[in-house]
Amino acid sequence: MVKEEVMTKTKKKVTIDKSRRSFLAGGALLGAGLAVASASDTDANQKQQSSIINSSRPDKLYDLLDASNQINTVCLQCNTGCGIKAKLQDGVIVKIDGNPYNPWTMLPQLPFKTPLENAAAIEGSICPKGQSGLQSAYDPYRIRKVLKRAGKRGESKWQSISFEQAIKEIVEGGKLFATIPGEENRNVEGLNQIAAVRDAKLMKILSTDAKAILEEKDKERKKALVEEFKLKHASELDKMIDPNHPDLGPRNNQIVVAWGRLKGGRSNLYTRFADSMGTINAHGHTTVCQGSLYFTCKAISEQYVDGKFSGGAKFYWQADTENSKFVFFVGANLFEGNYGPPNRSVRLTKNLVNGETKIAVADPRFSKLAAKAWKWLPIKPGTDAALASAMIAWIIDNKRYDEKFLANANKAAATATGETSWTNATWLVEVKDGKPGKLVRAADIGLIQPETRKTKDGKEYQEKFMVAMVQGVPTVVDPNDTKTPVMGDLFVDTKLPDGTHVKSGLQIVLESSKQKTLKEWAEIAGVKESDIIDVAKELTSHGKRAAVDIHRGPAQHTNGFYNVLGWMTINMLLGNYDAKGGMAKATTYDVMGAKSKLFELGNNPGKMGAFGISSIRHGVDYEKTTLFNGYPAKRNWYPLSSDIYEEIIPSIGDAYPYPVKALFLYMGAPTYSLPAGQTNIKILCDLEKLPLFVCSDIIVGTTSMYADYIFPDLSFLERWEFQGSHPSMTCKVQPVRQPAMAPIPENCKVFDTEMPIAFESMLLGIAEKMNLKGFGADAFGPGLDLKHYDDFYIRAVANLGFGEKPDGSDGVPDAVEKEMDAFIGARRSLPKTVFDPDRWKKIAGEKVWPKVVYVLNRGGRFEDHDKAYKGSRLAHPYGKLLNMYQEKTAGTIHSGTGKRNAGHSQYIPIMDFHGKEPTELRKGHDLVLITHRSIVHTKSRTITNQWLHPLMPENHVLINPLDAKKFNLTDGQKVKVVSATNPSGDWDLGAGATKPMVGLLKFTQTMRPGVISFALGFGHWATGATDISVDGVTIRGDSKRATGIHANAAMWIDPALKNTCMLDPVGGSVSFYDTHVKLVPTS
Amino acid sequence: MKKVNEIMDRREFITAGGLVGAGAAVAGLAIVKDRSGSEAVDPTGDNTVRKLSAVTNLKPQANEDDHVRMQRELERAMAKPVEKRKWIMVIDTRRCVGCQACTIGCIAENKLPPGVVYRPVIQKELGEYPNVALHFLPRPCMQCEKPSCVPVCPVKATWKRPDGVVVVDYDKCIGCRYCLNACPYSARTSDFGRDYTIAEATGARDVKGAPIYGAPAPWEGLPSNEYGKSWDRKNHGSPVGNARKCHFCLHRLEKGILPACVTTCIGRATYFGDSRDPDSLVTELITKNNVQTLLPHWDNKPNCYYIV
Repeated sequence: MVKEEVMTKTKKKVTIDKSRRSFLAGGALLGAGLAVASASDTDANQKQQSSIINSSRPDKLYDLLDASNQINTVCLQCNTGCGIKAKLQDGVIVKIDGNPYNPWTMLPQLPFKTPLENAAAIEGSICPKGQSGLQSAYDPYRIRKVLKRAGKRGESKWQSISFEQAIKEIVEGGKLFATIPGEENRNVEGLNQIAAVRDAKLMKILSTDAKAILEEKDKERKKALVEEFKLKHASELDKMIDPNHPDLGPRNNQIVVAWGRLKGGRSNLYTRFADSMGTINAHGHTTVCQGSLYFTCKAISEQYVDGKFSGGAKFYWQADTENSKFVFFVGANLFEGNYGPPNRSVRLTKNLVNGETKIAVADPRFSKLAAKAWKWLPIKPGTDAALASAMIAWIIDNKRYDEKFLANANKAAATATGETSWTNATWLVEVKDGKPGKLVRAADIGLIQPETRKTKDGKEYQEKFMVAMVQGVPTVVDPNDTKTPVMGDLFVDTKLPDGTHVKSGLQIVLESSKQKTLKEWAEIAGVKESDIIDVAKELTSHGKRAAVDIHRGPAQHTNGFYNVLGWMTINMLLGNYDAKGGMAKATTYDVMGAKSKLFELGNNPGKMGAFGISSIRHGVDYEKTTLFNGYPAKRNWYPLSSDIYEEIIPSIGDAYPYPVKALFLYMGAPTYSLPAGQTNIKILCDLEKLPLFVCSDIIVGTTSMYADYIFPDLSFLERWEFQGSHPSMTCKVQPVRQPAMAPIPENCKVFDTEMPIAFESMLLGIAEKMNLKGFGADAFGPGLDLKHYDDFYIRAVANLGFGEKPDGSDGVPDAVEKEMDAFIGARRSLPKTVFDPDRWKKIAGEKVWPKVVYVLNRGGRFEDHDKAYKGSRLAHPYGKLLNMYQEKTAGTIHSGTGKRNAGHSQYIPIMDFHGKEPTELRKGHDLVLITHRSIVHTKSRTITNQWLHPLMPENHVLINPLDAKKFNLTDGQKVKVVSATNPSGDWDLGAGATKPMVGLLKFTQTMRPGVISFALGFGHWATGATDISVDGVTIRGDSKRATGIHANAAMWIDPALKNTCMLDPVGGSVSFYDTHVKLVPTS
Repeated sequence: MKKVNEIMDRREFITAGGLVGAGAAVAGLAIVKDRSGSEAVDPTGDNTVRKLSAVTNLKPQANEDDHVRMQRELERAMAKPVEKRKWIMVIDTRRCVGCQACTIGCIAENKLPPGVVYRPVIQKELGEYPNVALHFLPRPCMQCEKPSCVPVCPVKATWKRPDGVVVVDYDKCIGCRYCLNACPYSARTSDFGRDYTIAEATGARDVKGAPIYGAPAPWEGLPSNEYGKSWDRKNHGSPVGNARKCHFCLHRLEKGILPACVTTCIGRATYFGDSRDPDSLVTELITKNNVQTLLPHWDNKPNCYYIV
C-alpha cells in the first residue's frame, strides 16, 4: 500500500513541479513563488473519509513520509554532523529529522540495504539546533549577490556588484576603493601580481635551492647558500618575498587562504586552489576548537619509519561510548557539544539507566553530563595534568596498569598477546643532567652493528634500532618487526655498560607523576584526594572497557598539550586502545579515488609545488630558518602543530615572518570565536597590513563584515560536502551532504557554465580568470574537466559508491527503478543549475550512476552496526605504535623561552609566551572565566535560528552564590566582565563602534566557587544583529540576535605577543579557560 | 476553586518552561465563524483501521533501537479500530538529557508560532555546591482520563477521542481560553497569530533586486497538518486565535510514525504506545518501573507517566 502511494505521488509531483521551477527561477524572492505554488498542490487524499476528526474541513493527510518528499543529507549546525532527513513541503524544507541510515541518529542504524521507501517512514533523532537548521538556510538576512565594501572596513556600508566584476577586481587589482574617502589613491595588488611564480618548473628549482638553505646546519655555510641563491636566481629575485631570506618562499605565499568550518570536498577544492595559486598558506581553525587534543595525539601517533619519527596523524581518540563500562569524562560535555549530543547520548543513557555503564565527570561546571554521573570532580581550570599525574602515580603504585600491554615493545609482541597497538613504554631513553632526551639506539651502544636499509623512496640509510631491557638485559627493538616479539621491563633506571644513564619511558612518566604527593596534586587540582582514588580505582576495575574521554576542557589552556598527554597516558596504562569499550578512532570511506583509481580526484596538473615558511610558522623548526635570531623569537614557531587560528591574522599584524597581501576567509568568524578576538578586528581594519580581504559567507557575519568583498555562499542545506566521522563512531562511514533545497544566492557563469554564486564558484571564477590549470578543462587529467563543482562532487560520490577496490567488488548495490524515481522526485524543486540528472549521469558514467543514486538516497555510505566489532576488539583498530615517550617532541625547542620541550606527561602551570606565570594579570581579578556550550547554540552561527530564541533568549554570567556574596553581587544584576588586558570591558569593533561586555548575573550552585562561565553563541554584533547599508538602503538588524554576552574580549591578550590571546606553544591551542576577571556591576 | 498554593505551583511551572507567552492577556483575535455547539462524532470501526508496513516489513535487528520497536508496535496498534487502542506516553526522566529536541520537534512538526508550545522541558537545579543535581521534566499534554479542559468549553470544540487523545477542532473553537485556565498542567496555549520572521531584515524588502534576501522565511507561510487537515494561517485563518495543545501527533500516527517528541528524543527518554497491547514497550515500562503522574491529587488521571 505504502509503496504504491509513493510511486503515484512521485509521478504526479514531477509533473506539477515544472511550472513551479520556472516560477522560482524568475522570481526575485523565493517566498513569493511558494505561496502561489501551494494552491495547486491539493492532495488526492481529500476524497478519503475523515480519519481523525469529522468536521467540515476536508482531510489532507500527511505526505512528509514519502521518499519523494525527503532528501537525506548531513547537518552542519555544529560539527557533530548528524545525518539528517530534510522534508520538503511545496519545495520548502519544513522539517528536519534524523537520517535512519546514519549511525549518528539511530542505534543500531537501519541496515544500509534497507529499501528507501521503508527508511522514508522511519526517523532518527537529532538535537533542537539540528532541527532548526532550515532557519539558517532561509534566514532573511542571507546575501544573494557579491557585496563590495562601500565604507571603511567594519563600517557596514556595502554596494552589490556583479560576480564578474568582483572576480576581475580581485584578480587584476587597481584603485578598487577609490570612491571611499582616504582610499582614493590606494592601489590594491591583484592576485595576478601577488602570485609571482606561475611556472611549476621554476617553482621546483627555487624550492630545491631554498630547502637546501633550510636544511644546512652550519651557520656560515647557510649564509653562503643564501648568497649563492641570490646570484643564481638574480633574475627571479623580484618573485621572492625577501631575497635575503629565500626560505620564506615566493611572493605567492603572501596570499593566505584560511577557513573556519571546512569539510571534505570543499577542503579538497580549497587546497587545489592554494596549490594551483602556488601558496603554501592554507590554514584552518583547529586550535580554537581543541587543537592541542589533535596535535598531542598526532605526536603520540608518530611512527618510526625509515629511521625517524614521521607520519603522525592529526586526529584523536574517544571512548567507544556504547561499550564502555566506565568512562571518566574530562572537560567533555557530550550532551551539549563535543561531537556528542545525538550520537553519544543514545549510546550512553540506556547503559546508565541499566547500570551497564558508570561515568564520572571532571569539569569546573556541573554540566548536564555531570548530572548523570556517579561522581563530579569540580576541577580547577588548567590543572588537568595535576589530576592526571595523581591518577598515574596511584595506578602505578597500586599495580593496576595493564602490564602485558605496556610490556609489548614492538608489533610482534602486540600480535602475540592479541593486541593491535603497542607503546614504547619500555624503550630506553637517554638521561643527561637528569633530563630525558633521545631514545637509545642499539647501534650507538654497541649492541649491534647498524643495518643498511632502504627507505620507501629507495634511499639507503643506517638503521640503528631501539633498545629495551628484557629481564635486565639490553635488547634490540625493531618497532615494526612482525616476527620477533620483544616484551620489555617496565621500570628501568640504570646505567649501561658504557656509562650512559638510561630510563624506560614508563619510568620517566612515573617520576614525573611523583613530583608531588597525591595530596599536593589534589590541592593543585582542587579536588578531593578520595575522589581521585575512587575514580582511579573504578578506571582500573573494568579491564579494557574503561576509558578517559576528553575534549576541549583539558586542551584549551597554555598547558594543553601536556594535559592531553597526561590523560592519554592513563589510557595507555589501561591498555584500552583498539578494544571494544576502550579508545576508538574514526574510520571513513575514501571519496578521492586514491584506492580504486575510478576517478583520481587528487590529480592536479596545475599543482605549483609551493614552498616556503608558512605564515603561521608551522611544521618547521625556528632554529633551521634564516630568520633565527635567538630567543625569544618575535612570535611562536610550531614544529608539531598546524592550523593555528590565533596566529593567522595576528601574524599578518606583525608581518612576521612576512607581510601578507591578500587573505581569503571561508566560513570563519575568528573575531568572534577566538579568545581576545578583538585583536583580530584591529588588524583586519588596517589597510596597510592587509591590503585585500575576501570572505565567503552566507550572511554579513561578525568577521566577514570587515571584508572588502563578500561572496554569498550556499548554506549546508544547499551544498555538497563529505562530513567524515568522529572518534567515538566505531563503524566505517562517509556521510554525504548534498543540495536539498533551491539555492538562495543568484546565479553566475563560470567556464561558460551556469551555477549559483557559492564558495566553489568563487574559486572556479578566480581560477578561470587567472588561467590556473587545476580548474576548467582537463583539471583532473585528460578528458576530466572541472567546470561546474558537480564535476568534482558527483565523481567523488561515484568513488564512494564504487568502493575502494579497483575491480569494484566492494561497491554499493545499484538503485532500483523505484529508488531512481524517488531520487528524481525528491529533487523536483531544485533548479537545473543545481540538479540535472542527465548532466550528473554523464559525469558519473552510465555504469556507476545507479550507485551514485543509491548512496545519495541514503545520505552517504555506512557500514552496518555489527561490522564495527570483532569479538572484544574494534574492527577498525588504530593498530600502530603509541608514543608514551616522544623523542620528536623532546627534540623541539620552545621558541619563546629557548628551553627544550618535554617528551612525556608532566604538569606545568599556566604561562605566557615568554614562560612567565601571569601573576600580574591575576592581581585584583579573582574569578577564572570559562565558557560552556549549551545545546541550543553553536558558537557563531545559530543565533539566526528563530525557533531557538525562546529556548534561551539570552545567556548569563553564571556564578556561585558564595562568590557573589564575596563580591557583593546580586542575582539578575547586570555586570561587566573586565580583565587586566581589557580594563574597559568593551569590544572594540573598529570603525568607532564598541559593544560593552555586559551580561545578566545568574546565581547557580553548578559553578565551582572562584570560576564563572557564560554560554557561547550570544552577544553578536553582526549576523543580522545590527543595521547595515546596502546600495544606500538601510537593512535593519534584529535586536534579538544581539542579546546576551560574549565575553571573549576579556580573555587575556598574551603580554609577550600583545596582539593575540595566550596560547599553548606546543599544541597550538588557544587559552580559553585561564583568564582571571572581575565583575563590575552596571545596574 | 483552586487553592493558592496550587496556583503558585502552576505559575512556577510556566516560568520554568520559559516559553509560555500566554500570561493574563485577553485574546483579541478570535474570529467567530460557523461555530456549533453540537457533540463531535468520532470516526470509529473499520474506517479507522490502517494497514501499515514500513517497519513490519523490516527484519528486526539485534538490540533494535527502541524507536523502531515502538514503531512496529504502532503499526500493530493501527491495525485495530480506534476504539481498541489506548495511547499513553511514558517519560523516563533518568534518560532525559534536557536537550529540548522534543520541544523543537513539536514546534516544527506542528508549525507552532511564537508563544505556542505543546511540549516544554522544565529544568530544575537542586542542592548546594558541590552536591548538586539537575532535573529535567518534559511536559506534554497528559491526555487525562478526566480532562478538566473538556467540560469548560462552551462550544464543545474540544473532546476526548476513543483512543484517549484530547483534541481541539480549531474551526469550532472561539478562543475564549476557558480551557487554558482549567488545565492544571498549563498544557494549552493560545495562538495569538504571531510570526517569527516578519520583523527581520526590514528595509531590504521593497528594493528591487536587493542583495539581501529580505522575505519572511518561506517555512512560516506553509499550512500545518494537524489532525490530518490543512491549516493555513494566512488571513488569520484557524488555528490563529484558537487554543492549542498536544495531540500526540495524530496525523503522524495515521501514517505509522511516532509522535515527533518521541522520534526526536536523543536520549530515548520518551516512549509512546498502546497500553492495551500487553506486549508493548509502554506496557512493560509502566508495570516494571516506579512510575508517577503529575499532580495526582487533582484526579485528572493523566495518561502520561514518568519514570523517576
